[in-house]
This record gives sequence, C-alpha cells and structure tokens, in this order.
Amino acid sequence: MKPKEYRSDLEPVWCNGCGDFGLLKGLTQALSDLEIVPEKLAVVSGIGCSSRLAGYTRSYSFNSLHGRALPIATGLKVARPDLTTVVVGGDGDGFSIGLGHVPAAIRRNVNLTYAVLDNGLYGLTKGQSSPTSTIAFKKSHELAGQNEEPLDPVMLVLAAGCGFVARTHAGNLPHVRQMLREAIAYPGFAFVHALAACVTYQSSSYATDLYARCDALPAEHDPTDIVGAMARARTDRFQLGVLYRRPVGEAAKTA
Amino acid sequence: MTTTSPGARAERSPEAPTSTRSIGVAIVGSGGDGVVLLGNLMLKLAARSGLYGVQVLSYGPQIRGGESAAVLRLSEAPVQYEGDEVDVLLCFRASDLRRFEGGIRLGRDSRVLLDVTDTAPLPEWLGTETPEVFRFPFARIENGLEVPGDPRNMLGFGLLCRMLGFEAESARTALREKFEHRHEALAKNLAAFDRGYGADPAPAGLVPLHGTGRDLAIETGNEAIARAAIEAGVGFFAGYPITPSSEIMETLLEELPPAQGKVIQAEDEIAALGMVLGASFGGVPAMTATSGPGLSLMTEMLGLSSMAELPAVIVDCQRAGPATGMPSRTEQGDLFHAVFAGHGDFPRIVLGAFDVVHARAVTHRAFHLAETYQMPVLVLSDAYIAQRSEIHDPTPTPPARVQRLRWEPGGSPARFDVTDAHGVGAFRVPGTPEGTYLAAGIEHTLDGRPTADGTVHHQMNTKRFAKLDAVARATQDAFVALGRDDATHGVLAWGSTMGVLREWIALHPDFRAFLPEILEPFPIESFEKWRLGLEDLAVLELSFQGQLYRALAGVTDLTGARSATRSGGIPLTRRDLDRLLLKEKP
Repeated sequence: MKPKEYRSDLEPVWCNGCGDFGLLKGLTQALSDLEIVPEKLAVVSGIGCSSRLAGYTRSYSFNSLHGRALPIATGLKVARPDLTTVVVGGDGDGFSIGLGHVPAAIRRNVNLTYAVLDNGLYGLTKGQSSPTSTIAFKKSHELAGQNEEPLDPVMLVLAAGCGFVARTHAGNLPHVRQMLREAIAYPGFAFVHALAACVTYQSSSYATDLYARCDALPAEHDPTDIVGAMARARTDRFQLGVLYRRPVGEAAKTA
Repeated sequence: MTTTSPGARAERSPEAPTSTRSIGVAIVGSGGDGVVLLGNLMLKLAARSGLYGVQVLSYGPQIRGGESAAVLRLSEAPVQYEGDEVDVLLCFRASDLRRFEGGIRLGRDSRVLLDVTDTAPLPEWLGTETPEVFRFPFARIENGLEVPGDPRNMLGFGLLCRMLGFEAESARTALREKFEHRHEALAKNLAAFDRGYGADPAPAGLVPLHGTGRDLAIETGNEAIARAAIEAGVGFFAGYPITPSSEIMETLLEELPPAQGKVIQAEDEIAALGMVLGASFGGVPAMTATSGPGLSLMTEMLGLSSMAELPAVIVDCQRAGPATGMPSRTEQGDLFHAVFAGHGDFPRIVLGAFDVVHARAVTHRAFHLAETYQMPVLVLSDAYIAQRSEIHDPTPTPPARVQRLRWEPGGSPARFDVTDAHGVGAFRVPGTPEGTYLAAGIEHTLDGRPTADGTVHHQMNTKRFAKLDAVARATQDAFVALGRDDATHGVLAWGSTMGVLREWIALHPDFRAFLPEILEPFPIESFEKWRLGLEDLAVLELSFQGQLYRALAGVTDLTGARSATRSGGIPLTRRDLDRLLLKEKP
C-alpha cells in the first residue's frame, strides 16, 4: 500500500508548517515500507496537537485522554498481540501529566512504538511552558517555571531500561521514516524522540536553530552500548539516529 | 406470608434463618496466634459436614500484625450475617479484646474461653456480666516467664471442636491436608489439637448443629467476583493493590491465565482502567477492581469509557472513607461517586452486591450489561463482603456469555450509528477489514469524526443516554423484596445490609424491604409499585450522609420517607436496626 493510503479522510487541524505533518508523513511511509495492513494497525494517542495524529491515520485509532495513551495501548497490545500498536503524543502529554506511565511501560517491555513529538511547549493551549522547554525560551516568553531545568526524554527512557531509543527531527522526512520503521520493527518497547518546532508559539528562527543543533550519530557509534548512548545523549547537541538498541533477548541492565 | 420478589434472586430461600439453629464463635488474639487459620479450619470442618456459615475477620488499623479477630457463625441454613451476639468467645489474651469494642458481644448464655492467667473481670461492653468462663493454660509459663509452648490456635481448635461436637478425626484430616508437606509442624499441631480436644475437665458442650452431609463450598466475596468474571468471559484484567479489593487481582493472577486471559498489575488505578479500556477497544471483555481511593483516580477514565462506548466492568470494594479513611473497614459511602462521578453528562450502570453468593450473580450481570450496552458498569461490593468467607451451595451453572454486537464488512458506515432499538451501534473489533475508525474522548459524530458542534453534541448525548433508558427497561426486575406484602412499614436498603436486614424483617412482620440490585438506573417503576400501601419508609444505609436517600430524592417524591443511617466501620447489626427502624420511627 502507498503511504497516502494510510491516511484517513480527516483533514489535519494543525497550523501550516507544523512538525506534526512530518511525523504523520514519516509514519505513513514507515507503515507502507513494513506493509502493515490498516485493519491490523492501532494508533493510540493522548491529548495535544500531536495526539490528533491518531485520527489522521487509517487504522483502528484511539484519541484518548491527556497523558494516558501508554496504559491504553498497553492494555490493547497485551489483549491483542496481533495488532501493530503505535503510540503518539507530545512532550507535555508524555513527560508531564503522563510521566508516571513511561517507565512503567518501558519496564513491562510490551511491544509498542512510542513516538513523542517534542516541540518544547503546550501548543494546543496556546504556548505554555512544557517539561522540555528551555530556560532561555521560558525567560524570553515570560513563561512559568523559569528556574526549572528541562527534562531530557532520551536520558529518562535510557535510564528506565528502554530497549530501543532513537532521536529524529520532524523536518528530516527520510530520517523520520527510517527511525519509525526501525522502531516499529523492534520486538519490544521502542521510543522515538522527534524534535520539532511550533510555528505559532515559537520564533520563526526556532526550527532553523533547532536543526543547527542536530548532528547525525557518528558511524562508529555502537547502538548496543548503553553507556555510550547515555554519553551521546548528554551533550549540548542533539544526535540523531538509533542511540540504543538492546539485542533481543538481553535483559535491561538496571540493577 | 413471606414473599421474595420475582427479581434476580428469586431462587433465594424466602425463609430467614432465625428459626434454624446457628452457633456464633469469636476468636480473638494477636499477630502470630494464628486466629485466622483457626477460623478457616472451623469453617472448613463446618462446610464438609454440610453446615452453612459466614466468617468475618477484623484487624486493627494496620493490615498486617497487631490484634486480630475472627467471628464465625455456623448455621443449619445459609447465613449472610455473623449475628449480634456470639455463643462462644475464645480469647488468648484478655488485653487483646480492647480493639474490638463494639464488634463482639456476648449473649446471656455465652461461654468464654480464657487463659488461666486472665482472671480480671471482662469488660462491660461485652454485654453480659456473668458469662460461663472456662480457663485453659494456653500460655506456657516457666519461672514466671512465658516460654514457647503449644500453638494456641491448635489448642483452641481442639477445645472448639469438642464444644461444637465436631469429630476429632475430621479435624485431624483437615490438619493433615493443611500441613501436608510440613511434617514437623503437622506433628506439633496434631499434638496441640489433641491436648485441647482431650482437655480434662472439658468445656461444656453445645447442642450440636446438624449439617446436610453434603460438602459445601467456601468462598470470599473477592474470590466470587474473580471467578464470576472468568465465567462471564473476562479476557483481560488490570488492577492496582488496594485494601480490601486486592484478592480479586490475586485470584485472577492465579486463575485467569489458565483460562487464556491476561492480567497486569498496573502502576496506578488510572493506568488500570486505561489498560482495561485499551483491551476493551480491542474487543476483549475487561475488568478492573479497586476501592474508593482508586475509583477516585479512575474518574476521568470512567467518562472516557462512556464517551468512547467501550464496555468495562469496574468493581469497587468500598471501604470507610474519605481519603485514606479506614482501609480494612466497611462502608456504603461510594454510592454518590459511583452514580455521579465525572465531568459532563454520561451514562453508566451501577450494581450492588448483597453477599458472597450474590457477588457472583451480580458480576455475571455486570458483564452482560457492559458488553450489551457498551458502557462502564460499576459493581459496588464492600469490605464486609469482599473479605468475609461464606459457605454456600455448589455454584450453579453460570448464564450464557453475551457477545458484543459486532460489526462486519458491509455493515453500517458509521461506528456509532444506532443499529438496534437500544441506542447501541455495532462494535468494530480491530482486525476486521474495512472497519477502521477513530475512538475518542473528544465529542464526535456518528461516524467518529471529532466535532465541536453543539447540536451534534446534544444528539450524541441523546444517543448515549438512550442506552441507559434501554437498561432501565431491561432491569426493572433487578431487586429483592423481603417480608409480607401487606406490611405497612417499608425499608429501602442496598448492598451488604441485606444479610442482617433479612433476619430482622423475619422477626418484624409489620415491616417489608426493597433491595435494588441495580442502583443506576434505579428500578423506579418497580420501587413505586412496591411502595404502594406503605405508611412510612426508611432508607437504611451504612453512610453518614445517607447517600441513597439523597440520590433517590432526585428521581421520586420522598415525602414521608426518612433516612436511617450511621457511619460505617462496623456493619449494621440487628441492634442497630432496632434503634434505626423502631426507636427512631416517627
């Protein structure tokens, strides 16, 4: 099936130029690459701009409650292991209100793909600060929590024992497609951190600035090395690619 | 003439067991005395001889350790109430009694078994000044200090079996089964049992009860609900540990996987109901179980279940609240929450369990309603039912499982289209070709498209509530009526109050009672019909506010009715009913 056949007939409500379009397109391409039939596909989301994505896919989709996509998808996948189950959401949905479910879902290692579109703010409610907003951004926009350091989603999921961790940039479509394809194919809980800008509540240069801070992972990076993955996550630059892929059957080293 | 309604429990014997003989036994001790094991052994012997019975356990504020008490009532007919007064009190240490003030009372002819060193007068609140006391050396004292001796519970087991006329060999068999692979413990326990059974002088015996001779079943309310869910076809369970409901999850962890179902211990109750809705979205019948604090957390998910029209069974084993309240104590204080919780208008069904046997029937009904009408069904049990053990007749064959109305290719183009008279649309089970759709907590059109159109919102509310009207039509018989049809004083009660009320009504022929099995939608037509001819009506509840009384005021004229309540903690007794229904009668 062609990527566009994975789209439902609903028109996205997103602003022109929103990073969510990139995530949606990359997802439909990855699904097409993997030849997943729509009736065997479930897309589950919470609430927020990016969570609208579930309804734009031709799948058994569930646009649920703010922060609660992971438990819902977990119940679905455990009850119906035959369904390919993809979870999408934003940084507020996943790392503020829904944070408690993230390590729990990772520890269960149910075969889900969790893609977070991280634009560093709450877009749907008109631009409040989120757990990943930088202090500089909060200060320049006079937002709440100007003394609160942003949370690093990649370090968080690595520390929780996530078996597949990748980072991508919503503006780089071939890369989004590849990361999602690998995440969906990974036989365990897989996390994809998709960096994006909000065209409405961030400055017009935000997307360019963000992209300028991204590098491809160096060729010598060993994705089975958790310590190396953490070291690469812990820099001022965003390294894009599969940071960590635990060999199948190996237990997470969290002792 | 005493009658029972044509309702769900019409098979229940209309005769309350007041005319049949029963013996009440209270066993009081401290952590490590093995009070619960002793109670369980007594119950097992009774069940094997075909006696009925109920056992209620009581603990201090902590769930483990500290003082504990088992109150048993063994009977020649089914009982769902442990009685106001015990015939025998076995207390290893009189100081342990303090914690159970109000929970244990003696009658005029009660016997008390105490340690030889406990010579002080018994507390007045026990209710009798001159019980017949038998003293036995439970503790072994050497040089003025207590040293490890025979297990007290086994000494007590021997004494109680002797008093109740249970055969020593049956008791020994029960011990051999219990300690099958622990030879040392078995020998020690058998010796202690024999020492108690052969005590000389022996405590005076009671007139023995006569069992049916059939081997009867023992179950707790939590076990009954878990097993009923399996019978009803539950394929997925998620829960979070909470007193007093945890044993539902524990039983399912053991018994659901062999029945091809899945169980998850979730990270919290929000996730538990979320997982249930995920499984249900996948077409799999699903359940969670919790207590009040967990139900509070589930509130937003409850609305999602109703909005996205996903069947879900949610068991609430009520405990005394609010907040943490008294976790191991019973109350009927979650009715408001079950019936009204959540933002926005949405239908849900609320059922109430009367006792352990009925908990099974009500769970069957819950799955039937949830799957048929595609909405959340709450089952209100409580600590009193959840953790007590009841001896009952062998479980009847469960009713046939219901199949969710299922969409097939070529069916209605819209997921939420009404395809039958009940407002129910055909459910699109993932995996069905051409059936993809969007389920959402956001308001949507009949075909699932998100909308912010007020007119559509009203139409969708109408559609969702039409299902509740259909439920109301289908459940007018979901109640039990007790007492004579011509009695002029009425009592409306619900849930576990049934056990004591049934016995009380049998003693007060000028009263009759109506107990709904379904609380939302309330079977109002049946109730109004039943109410005809009453001079007065008391709404009897174990909650400070009188939640049923207040909720009912919204659906019927309560002129002439009054609220008869007290807070929970200890279940209502016959003595309470005398006070609430007779003395406080206008």
